[in-house]
Amino acid sequence: MPSNIVKKFKNKQTLSRLKSRDKEVFTEVYDANVADIHRFVYFKIGSREEANDLTSIIFLKTWDHIQKNTLEDAKTLRALLYKVARNAIIDYYRERGSQKPISLDDEQNPVDIATDMSQSDKIDDDQDLKRIISKLPFLKEEYREIIIMRFINDLSLEEISDISQKSRGNVRVLLHRALTALRELIEDSPGV
Amino acid sequence: MTNKDLISKLNSLKNVSPDSSWLASNRELFLAQISNSGADKLSGGQVFFINLKSFLKASSQPVFALGVFMLVLVASSIFGHKLFSQAKPNDSLYIARIISEKAKLNMVFNSEAKNKLAVNFATNHAKDISAVLSDPSFNNEENKDQVAKLNDSFNEEIDNVKKIVNSGVTKAPKLEGEVSEQVEMSDEAISIAAEHKAEQGIQIKEAEPNQASVARTTIAPSTSVKAETKATTTEASSTETKVEAEVSIDAKINEADKMIDEAKESFNNKDYHSVIDKLNEVTEIIK
Repeated sequence: MPSNIVKKFKNKQTLSRLKSRDKEVFTEVYDANVADIHRFVYFKIGSREEANDLTSIIFLKTWDHIQKNTLEDAKTLRALLYKVARNAIIDYYRERGSQKPISLDDEQNPVDIATDMSQSDKIDDDQDLKRIISKLPFLKEEYREIIIMRFINDLSLEEISDISQKSRGNVRVLLHRALTALRELIEDSPGV
Repeated sequence: MTNKDLISKLNSLKNVSPDSSWLASNRELFLAQISNSGADKLSGGQVFFINLKSFLKASSQPVFALGVFMLVLVASSIFGHKLFSQAKPNDSLYIARIISEKAKLNMVFNSEAKNKLAVNFATNHAKDISAVLSDPSFNNEENKDQVAKLNDSFNEEIDNVKKIVNSGVTKAPKLEGEVSEQVEMSDEAISIAAEHKAEQGIQIKEAEPNQASVARTTIAPSTSVKAETKATTTEASSTETKVEAEVSIDAKINEADKMIDEAKESFNNKDYHSVIDKLNEVTEIIK
C-alpha cells in the first residue's frame, strides 16, 4: 500500500514537472525508457535502423507535447510515451505506403539476447526464440502490439488499457487470443 | 509449448536492447536538441507546489478525505473559538460557540488552566445572557419562553462558576495543613541539630516565639552545623512564602465567591448592568 502510494506520487510528480518543462526530469525519463521504446518499435517494424530513427523521433515528439502543454490525457508517463510511439509508427507506415510485415530474423543484424544458461540449454532456447521472433511479424497487428507491451516490455494491464483505449476486460481477452494465435503459428511450423 | 512456456520465452526477449554506441550518440544529439527550449531548472516554490499537488493526487480518496476531516477538526478547535466567540445566546451560532469552547477545553491538559478557562467561558456566557436580557426589545412578553430559558441558562452558568471557584477553595486548607506539617518538621529538625551540636559544645540560638513559622537561627562557627542550619532556614522561609501565597489565594477565592453571589442577586433583581460589572470583577479576580 505505501509503496503503491510512493509509486503513484513519483509518477504524478514526474508528469507535473514535465508539464512545467523541466529538462532535467525529461532527461531522466529518456534514460529510463529509451531501451523499452526502442524494443517496442523494433518488434513492431522489424528493422533496427528504422527503430533507431523512430525512437529519436518519438522522444522529440514527446518533448514537443510537453512544450505545447498537451499532456492532459495521459495517466502515466509510460502510457504517454507508448501513445506517441504508436502514432509515430502509424505515421511511418503511412509515409511508406504499406504495412508489409518485415522479418525480424535479419541475418545481417542478428538479435542478441543475453541469458544465463548452459550451452545446450542456450542453443535450445535460442532456437525457440528465433521461432517466436520469426512468427511475430505474421501475427495480427493488434495481437503483436499487445504481446510486446505485456510480455516483452512488462506493461501493466492498466497501462495497456490506457494506451489502447480499451477496458481491462477487453485487454485480458485480447491477450489470451494473441497468445493462442502465436502458439498456433509456432506449432504449425515447428522446424524453422 | 504451453502458454506458460511461451510467456517465459517472450519475457526473455526483453533483453533485446539497442546498440550502446547508438544509445550514447543519440543521447547527446537528443540533449543538444532540447537544450535550447524549456525551463532549465524549477524554482523551490514550483517544486514544492508540484510535490504537494502530486501528493494530493497520489493519495487515495478515503485517505485524503480522512486527512481533510482531521485538518478541519484541528483547525475548528483552534480557530473556531475565535470565529464563534461573538455569537450571542439568542443567535443560531451560539451552539457552535459552545461546541468550539468544549473542544478548546478538552485540548487543555493542565487542570488549573482548564478550571480558569472553564470559569472564563461560564462567566462570559452569564455576561452575554445578561447583556441580551438587558435589551428591552428582546426581553418582553413576545419572547417569554426564550427569556425563561435564558434565565435557567444563567443560573446554570453561575452555579457552574461557583462550583469551579469553590473547588479551588477546598484545595487551600489542605495546602495549609501540608505547610504547617512542614513547618513542624523543620522546627523538629532544628531542635535535633541543636541537641546534637550542644554535645560538641556548639550553641544554636532559636528564633523569637512570635516568628514560629520562620525559624531564624544564629549559629556558632562550625562548617557542618552551618550547612545543616542553612538548609533548614531556606526550607522555613520557603514555607513562609507558600503560606502567604495560599492566604492570598484564599482571600481571592472568597472575594470571587462573594461577587458571584452578588451577581446572582442582581440578576434576580433584573439589574443586568450590575450583573455584568460584577462578573467582570470575578474575571479580574480569577486572572
